Amino acid sequence: MEHPIENREAILKEVAPKPQSSVVWGAALVLAALPFVVSVPLATEILIWGLFGLGFNLLLGYTGVLSFGHAAYFGLGAYAAGLAMRYWNVGIGAAIAAAVAASVLLACFIGALAIRRRGVYFAMISLAFGQMLYFLALSPLKHITRGEDGLTHIPLVDVFSVALHKPRPIYYFIYAVTMIMLYVTWRILQSPFGRLLRAFRENEERAKACGFNTTLVKFLTLVLSALYGGLAGALNTLYLNYVPLATLFWLTSGTIVMMTILGGKGTFLGPLIGAAVFLFLQNTISLFTPRWELFVGSIFVIIILVFPGGIMGTLQVFLLDRKMARLRKQAGADPQGG
Amino acid sequence: MFSDINWTVFFMQLFFGLALGSIFVLLASGLSIIYGLLDVVNFAHGTFAMLGAYAVFVAVSLSGSFAVGIASAVVIVALLGVAIELFLLKPLYGKDPLLPLLLTFGLSIAVPDLVKIVFGLTGKPVDYPAALGGATIVGPVILSNYRLFIIVFTLAILISLWLFLKKSDLGMIIRAATRDSLMVQILGTNTSGIWTIGFAIGTGLAALAGAIAVPMLAATPDMGVEMTMVAFVVTVVGGLGSLGGAIVGGLLIGVIVAFTSLIAGEYSSVAMYFCMAVILLIRPRGLFGESGRE
Repeated sequence: MEHPIENREAILKEVAPKPQSSVVWGAALVLAALPFVVSVPLATEILIWGLFGLGFNLLLGYTGVLSFGHAAYFGLGAYAAGLAMRYWNVGIGAAIAAAVAASVLLACFIGALAIRRRGVYFAMISLAFGQMLYFLALSPLKHITRGEDGLTHIPLVDVFSVALHKPRPIYYFIYAVTMIMLYVTWRILQSPFGRLLRAFRENEERAKACGFNTTLVKFLTLVLSALYGGLAGALNTLYLNYVPLATLFWLTSGTIVMMTILGGKGTFLGPLIGAAVFLFLQNTISLFTPRWELFVGSIFVIIILVFPGGIMGTLQVFLLDRKMARLRKQAGADPQGG
Repeated sequence: MFSDINWTVFFMQLFFGLALGSIFVLLASGLSIIYGLLDVVNFAHGTFAMLGAYAVFVAVSLSGSFAVGIASAVVIVALLGVAIELFLLKPLYGKDPLLPLLLTFGLSIAVPDLVKIVFGLTGKPVDYPAALGGATIVGPVILSNYRLFIIVFTLAILISLWLFLKKSDLGMIIRAATRDSLMVQILGTNTSGIWTIGFAIGTGLAALAGAIAVPMLAATPDMGVEMTMVAFVVTVVGGLGSLGGAIVGGLLIGVIVAFTSLIAGEYSSVAMYFCMAVILLIRPRGLFGESGRE
């Protein structure tokens, strides 16, 4: 890439190149091959959590709003799909639609109550609402949700007469949905709305001064991320054929926070990479000790202290630094270009 | 009101609720002091309470004295708080305000597992101290002495905290730094030391809450999360960064939990979250929250 620099615009273009959609196709190719590299269950979990993280990253990474209650959307989606299939025997499409609708409605409710609050306040409130749902499913609604046992006896389903309870078919079904959402996420981020999100994260006061309704944008992003959460929850139900109560537990919220930060908040592929690295670590450590939380928690603390940008964020800064150094050298050699 | 609940039951449940609420008050006031001073939402707050409970268990089994247990729990956990503030939180000040919250969240994931390795998975019970066993009978109402102790003890702690903040020089500096830490620094006081002290006081209060709760609950590795959640709910209800809010919110939530477990047991864990949602609807900044700090 050693071509001469014509003018300032060219330098800018090279420092911050327009993102290429090849990122999406590249990720799609890698994920298509994933079940041949790692075990199929691990690959499936990476997809589900990666999809969940894509939505969560829109909220945390691009808008800068920290929700500590995303288990509510994931879990509600999982339960809504499971309940619809178990009690009403609906098809796969209706189950997913029910899950997404339930999560979006919940996000509208929580968002209306709390999205105006300051960042730390919203984190606390969302966590508390998440726990409220957990305890509701645990005890008062036990006759529907089966409480601690989780929701079982969900009928098996198929799509185009391919049975979805076999590992590979369900992987590629989830793969298809995740890739559609990956593309959608890409389009959202390239749209004016996506730019607005980043403007908010960088300087909310300024965006407000420019006449944008910051509360509305934050609210819409919360609802959008809940849509991803509900979808991921529904896919989790299809994959496990079971809804564990843990889908609503606060640790689920914490896990998606850790994955997103680990991969790099505010980077396009960060959540997918974060989910993959997190789940791989968790699976590997679990082979040696049941105390994986100690290791994962400690790693997370170190990341916050040393690499708050996560894997992709740190990588980006590193590459940018190198590029800047090279450009500076070129500009020094050719003062006209500066 | 309810035909099957007479006044005796009502007063006993109110008393239960106030004792439970006193523990919540200690928890939430620690969280409030830390937030007011450092602008840090301490996600590991309940984890410190859990460590306090274990410290009591260890100290009581070594010394046999509950008083020694409480004192050593506060000192040990406060010192731990000092270490965490100095080595883990200090490097994060001035960066993204969400980082300290995320760091303490990481601690709340890792530390309970460490406790499981050291003390095992099962809970560690601590006996009621002999002097506080039994019950006091007021008319038809039976009040357990230990719960009376909790209420009186919390009151004593709150009064000393209040006197410390209002009357002592250090307390005055802490209050000033809570208002405007930059101005305090300009006036020549070392605020970074004040922050360390503030974090130590906050974690010490959390340890105190865990310590006095342990004879009723037993120390378990996972009790921390529940306590963090309670502290958050009380803080949202009372208003972030307000000591008065922590007191009123704590007692209110304690009483609500006590009455729900009497009337509709299965809703007892959900009640405080409902209460929080209602408060958010009616008064978004909490009962005592300042309008600027929501």
